[in-house]
Amino acid sequence: MKNTIKVERAKKNWTQADLAKEIGISRQGLNSIETGKFIPSTLLALRMAKVFGTTVEVLFQMEGDEDGLGE
Amino acid sequence: MEQSKRSMHLQSVIYALIYGATYLPAVWLLKHQVFGQPVSIMIAVVPVITFCIFIYKYIKSFSAMDEVKQRVQLEAVVIGFALTALLLMVMFLLGLCGISNSLWFGYAYLVCYCWLFYFIGWIVSKRKYGV
Repeated sequence: MKNTIKVERAKKNWTQADLAKEIGISRQGLNSIETGKFIPSTLLALRMAKVFGTTVEVLFQMEGDEDGLGE
Repeated sequence: MEQSKRSMHLQSVIYALIYGATYLPAVWLLKHQVFGQPVSIMIAVVPVITFCIFIYKYIKSFSAMDEVKQRVQLEAVVIGFALTALLLMVMFLLGLCGISNSLWFGYAYLVCYCWLFYFIGWIVSKRKYGV
């Protein structure tokens, strides 16, 4: 799973701490999500999309065969 | 909000320390049989109560954590539990073979190993998620 959180954050000129505060998680937690180590819940992903004024699909994209649909 | 979350987390740590502070002296007093049986039973109950309070505070603090921290704690507990269960099973099987050393693997030490395994799980999980 890849994400564009860093790009969206840069557009708003927000630090990790700023975004973390907006969505109600710790800065370390946000860093873990941003670096792809942790996949957030639907609620958190929606909350993130809302503060950026975008959609979850823009923020998170599946990589390779992650969709599990096969050929 | 952030302040109350931090306070809940701090409270669970404080109650863990209180539990440790009651458990170790209780073990020492009971091991050396300083008091008679009725008093010894009362002493034995004290760490049980402090442990129950700690667990209550820990669960309350868990519910206030963000989802990344919750995952870290959950994995730490799972690893701690699995390793403790593994140790118990190995000790039991070795006991059946007539090989056991109660000096190292008695009930008293089992609690310490359980905590040790929890902290191993905590470190592993923290490194995994980079928290």
